[in-house]
Amino acid sequence: MMSEQDKSQLTEEAVANKPTAKKATVKKAATRRKTVAKKAVVKKPARKKSVARRVDKPASVLIVGAGFAGLGMAIRLKQAGIEDFVILERANQVGGTWRDNTYPGAACDIPSNLYSYSFAPNPGWSRSFSGSDEILGYIHHLVSAFGLSRHIRFNQNVSALTFDEQAGLWLAAVEGGRTVQARAAVMAQGPLSNAAFPDIDGLDTFQGKKIHSARWDHDYDFSGQRVAVIGTGASAVQIVPELAGRVKSLKVFQRTPAWVIPRPDFKTPRWNQRLFAKVPASQKAVRKALFWTHETMALAVIWNSPLTRLAERLALGHLRNQVKDDWMRRQLTPDFRIGCKRVLVSNDYYPALQRDNAQLITWPIARLAPNGIRTSDGVEHQCDCIVFATGFDVPKAGTPFPIRGLQGRELGEEWATGAQAYKSINVAGYPNLFFTFGPNSGPGHNSALVYMESQLDYAVRAIGRILGDNLKMLDVKEDVQARYNRHIQKRLAKTNWNSGCKSWYLTEDGFNATMYPGFASQYQRQMADVNWADYQQIPASG
Amino acid sequence: MASIDLDKMLAKIKSSQWALADIDWDAPGAEKITAEQWPKLKAFMADLMWIEHVGARGFAAMAKKAPNDTLKQIYTYFHAEEQRHANAEMALMKRWGMLDGDRLPKPNKNLRLVIEWLDRYSDDMPLEVLGSVIPMLEIALDGALCTFLLETVDDPVCHQAFARINDDESRHLGVGFHVLEMQGHGDTYIKVLKAIGTLMDPRLILGIASYVPLLNRMRDNIIDMGLGEERLYAAMKKFERIGGRTADGRRNPWYQIISRHGRLVVNRDHRLYHAPVDAMVRLTNRIPDRVMPSRVPTWVKGITYKPVV
Repeated sequence: MMSEQDKSQLTEEAVANKPTAKKATVKKAATRRKTVAKKAVVKKPARKKSVARRVDKPASVLIVGAGFAGLGMAIRLKQAGIEDFVILERANQVGGTWRDNTYPGAACDIPSNLYSYSFAPNPGWSRSFSGSDEILGYIHHLVSAFGLSRHIRFNQNVSALTFDEQAGLWLAAVEGGRTVQARAAVMAQGPLSNAAFPDIDGLDTFQGKKIHSARWDHDYDFSGQRVAVIGTGASAVQIVPELAGRVKSLKVFQRTPAWVIPRPDFKTPRWNQRLFAKVPASQKAVRKALFWTHETMALAVIWNSPLTRLAERLALGHLRNQVKDDWMRRQLTPDFRIGCKRVLVSNDYYPALQRDNAQLITWPIARLAPNGIRTSDGVEHQCDCIVFATGFDVPKAGTPFPIRGLQGRELGEEWATGAQAYKSINVAGYPNLFFTFGPNSGPGHNSALVYMESQLDYAVRAIGRILGDNLKMLDVKEDVQARYNRHIQKRLAKTNWNSGCKSWYLTEDGFNATMYPGFASQYQRQMADVNWADYQQIPASG
Repeated sequence: MASIDLDKMLAKIKSSQWALADIDWDAPGAEKITAEQWPKLKAFMADLMWIEHVGARGFAAMAKKAPNDTLKQIYTYFHAEEQRHANAEMALMKRWGMLDGDRLPKPNKNLRLVIEWLDRYSDDMPLEVLGSVIPMLEIALDGALCTFLLETVDDPVCHQAFARINDDESRHLGVGFHVLEMQGHGDTYIKVLKAIGTLMDPRLILGIASYVPLLNRMRDNIIDMGLGEERLYAAMKKFERIGGRTADGRRNPWYQIISRHGRLVVNRDHRLYHAPVDAMVRLTNRIPDRVMPSRVPTWVKGITYKPVV
């Protein structure tokens, strides 16, 4: 957890960062900020009154989700002087992914100094790769340091988002009958927020305990239990080493082996934390170095280059080093190009699989039976508990709830064959709506939050325009969006993600609506400016 | 073209999974094995089980080479299914009191050589080779041996198990011949050249040296059991017949090589073939244990007679 000193550091940094929101376009926004800020000041007393009364009055912005994206959006809005926003959160806590993923060993695969917001640095990270509780602690800090809690409404599950063309307002229908209105809406619900059980025959017949990695049951006592883990992705490689030491027996069911590279994880020395606290520039420098190190990895994982071979050799060397048995090594060797699926980082996954009480099972799962898992070799593996590290239901060809834009068009239908947007953030026909982690914004090699920051700043600029110029609609042009997507898909065709493996990045038909085919710095450049000519701007009448 | 829809086949495979636990291995009927049958059956079952196990390893190698994801998945299932057959056959041996405790029966020396070869080289072999040899092994050894067994053994549990095994095998053969034809499609000349290139690969020569005597040994085992070897030959001819039913199948040089070799095997008068091969079988029997490959690959130990573990 962060110390008090760290907290103040965080706040100070945020304040210090406020005027440094530099880019030329932001200047414009800054001039508008005064007007917007005035508006916000006028509204301030109203905020003290009951929540129910505020519902009727449209807010400037509504944000769906209080995870990293939603809270980051809120901070950037505040820093731009836009105070009149509402965050709708379906749970009763902030944190999104990091609130939900509390399984043992949960941690981020990206170094914490890069997996955090540059506008809210935390000098106190205890490790190079922090655990989920520490990341969640950081998120809670964002809330308190930037005074976000009064904007968040918990237990508000949005069931539909509809644009009112006449009024130029987004209406969020919330389960329970409420409707929240705002001039702009930000989708920050997270692409990986719905835990998915795999489609296995007999899933409901299993009588033992079932736990999903993203819905961990902390009350369940694993000691002395026979445990099965289904899935060998990013969550599983973190769970397996933690569970192996606690349980009687552990069977890990693998369908496709992933590439695993070593994790340079270490404790941050005290002097380092002190240095970061005292000389924030030193932390910025480290962040920058980490950023560029990850950028070079793009050459290995996004495109097929000599660096790809090098990365594969590194991973195979790691495997050879840690696994002595030929057959097991064969079972753990991926047969697709590195980068095609998410690359995993772990030092203790392979050793855990080789413990006496652990076993790697690579037979296909035929079905679940009341007492265990039946594999296609005809054997039933009996167990007391099954851990599903099977990931999430990713709405690649749809939206988490119906989103209706102009002339009643429905986004889920439009996206049925694969989602697409303009610069990942706007969709034609859905004015004043902004997506975080929208179509083709996923990184394969760098921190998701780096991409996120670019999205947030882009959205702030556009929202500033809507509010400042009193626009009813800011809607990206259809042809601009189509051109953008043709270009993106052309570039994607040359990437490792589209090189033939099956992954959650692709739809059933192999359409890639998830990843951004380029460097993070390229993405940042793309998002640095809003080209107003790409948008239809319709002023509010009167 | 007798081609099959691989996607439908995969769906069918997925919906046809069965487990050892579906069979009551303690049901009455085990006593129907006669005292006279018992020792021969024991040796026969051990061979059969090992052949299935070895076939499984072949499918594992093929899964790595599959040209598309559906075929890859199918081979992954077939790998597991062959293992299931080996497990079921081991469970029958257990039922008939043929296992020494929980221990795996020892594979004969020809099989040990095949295991060693598969473990070392099968992943490096082109799909064309394995894709042609596997249907032959399946149809000749697996298919024919299973029929013999059912004619000789009256135990209903054995029939129950083999009804399921044969059901799986019919799908394996369907896919096997489909792939054989798939690979015969296209320019024959290039295929022949490639086949000649592969044939000169010393790794494949070693493989042939393990495969060839195995067939003759199985023939001898069948005769030992008091069964007519003609049945084995009939099965091998079936490979030639089904594999050669389409022009694509016939154009596959590996089909040509393997079916021609099959003709040699079934022609007992062909002294030029049988004399040296029989000598090879005798020779392998004489290889002292200490020079046999001592390293047992881990996959060999994956077999079990237990329905639940």
